[in-house]
Amino acid sequence: MTAAATVGLTGITKKYHGTTALDAIDLSFQPGITGLLGPNGAGKTTLLRIIATVLAPDTGNVRLLGRTPATPDELAQVRRRLGYQPQEMGFPRAFTGFGFVDYMAVLKEWTARTPRHDEVRRVLDLVDLGDVATKRVRALSGGQRRRVALAQAMLGDPDLMLLDEPTTGVDPEQRVALRHVLSRAGERSTVLLSTHQTEDVAALCDRVVVLDQGRIRFDGAVQDLVATAAGRVWLADAPDPAARASWRTGTGKHRNVGQAAPPGSERTEPTLEDAYLLLLGDRARTTEVAA
Amino acid sequence: MNAIWHVDDALLERYVRGAAGPLDAASLEQHLTGCADCRARIATHVEVAPLEMVWSRVREQAQAPAPSLVERLLTRLGVSASDARIVAVAPSLRTSWLFGLAVTLGFVGLGAANGEARGLAFFLLVAPLVPVAGVAFAYGPDVDPSYEVGVAVPYSAARLLLLRTAAVLATSLPLVLAAALLVPGLSWTAVTWLLPALAFTALTLAASTWTRPTFAGVGLGIAWACAVGAAALGQDPYAVLAPSLLRVYAVVGIAAVLVLRLRIRRLTPLGSLS
Repeated sequence: MTAAATVGLTGITKKYHGTTALDAIDLSFQPGITGLLGPNGAGKTTLLRIIATVLAPDTGNVRLLGRTPATPDELAQVRRRLGYQPQEMGFPRAFTGFGFVDYMAVLKEWTARTPRHDEVRRVLDLVDLGDVATKRVRALSGGQRRRVALAQAMLGDPDLMLLDEPTTGVDPEQRVALRHVLSRAGERSTVLLSTHQTEDVAALCDRVVVLDQGRIRFDGAVQDLVATAAGRVWLADAPDPAARASWRTGTGKHRNVGQAAPPGSERTEPTLEDAYLLLLGDRARTTEVAA
Repeated sequence: MNAIWHVDDALLERYVRGAAGPLDAASLEQHLTGCADCRARIATHVEVAPLEMVWSRVREQAQAPAPSLVERLLTRLGVSASDARIVAVAPSLRTSWLFGLAVTLGFVGLGAANGEARGLAFFLLVAPLVPVAGVAFAYGPDVDPSYEVGVAVPYSAARLLLLRTAAVLATSLPLVLAAALLVPGLSWTAVTWLLPALAFTALTLAASTWTRPTFAGVGLGIAWACAVGAAALGQDPYAVLAPSLLRVYAVVGIAAVLVLRLRIRRLTPLGSLS
């Protein structure tokens, strides 16, 4: 861990009813955007909850923004500089988008009304919700609700942003717009982004951490993960039964990700998704398990 | 529309000042709808600062949420506007909850008004549990869909819960007291139910440092229902307010307050890093 690390985790273990969600994790993060990839149940959400100070690890040490959040004062100091978007987020009944973000701003100690309302407008505009700010949150689309959740995480430009699947349910056009917003945030803040979308990681992140069954399977630069699949992706006329993953593409060719070249195939450039599939194999497609 | 004629500067200037006559103004407005050139020219005559001020006031009026009944009440009682805002979000402090409570207590009070044992027992069952239910539904993951994100904020959970508890007591107890006035023969005992009510409220808060407030409230509700049911079966609902038991409630209440004081930092069931 370097001195500039904003997040330092050492030996973090968390179990739920005998199931190990995180197994002796050591990680540190600096300013910039890191993508957390992994199948459902890999431990991504647990990891973000621990860093967000809403869940205590069973064992291990946590250092956040230069502090050990062990006392109420230290916790409050850390939470003042932290923005968190949980994976599943509900909204109290009858709240408008503006009303909800305003409520969160009060909880984040924006007590003076005028600067608070200006800040609420700023973050709602950032996620392009300024026009629907007075609509009830429950009347908004799923993607718009995710953006309300993201807006509150951006209040006050926090030094540490923890975003659990921020782009789920967001339409492609908005996703591109959000990438722009997140990349700006990553210029000065430490942004941890848990996602299933390898495209988001490829487009946004300098670094990627792949978690599986509570352990780190890969931690490094995105291009280094992509490079692990170099020479292992082929386009062929038929699916390869021996491949880790194989699917028919829009061109009619089958994309085969595996160790050996199927007969009559041509090698192609790998993507992050290919590398991820190669790393985790069938586990990359594990079905939903909350963890 | 192709406009050949354009508004002259003098008229534009008079119009912006509000000094153009109604006929000229109507004619100019009609022309502006079809002439982009004149629309662009009139913009140069308009002062932006006052317009922006008006716009920002309009936007503030439209966007800022209107304060609820409880929010207004709290600010009148001296609570800061920002505290009142987050306190009043609790389900048990919404206008609909208080309205429902008033109606329910009205029926309970009327049921006890003829002095029959069953009606009295029902009043004694409900009265101390009203603030308990209010507290149980004021905070926690069962009643707040945004609870998880609300944990990761610097605002103290203890302060929030205590403020909401104070607000619950301030809104619900007067309603129960009003219902108690309908019960005949309660005399000074019209207020003795306050002792178990306060003790149980403190107990709910203390238990919330181990479990969810809703679990604590439901557990207490069941225990109290059993006690009142047993007393009613013995044909003396007032047995639950016997002097010896009042002493027990007082002791329980004080013990609960002490426990709460010791453990108040453990209020977040998801767990903190401490």
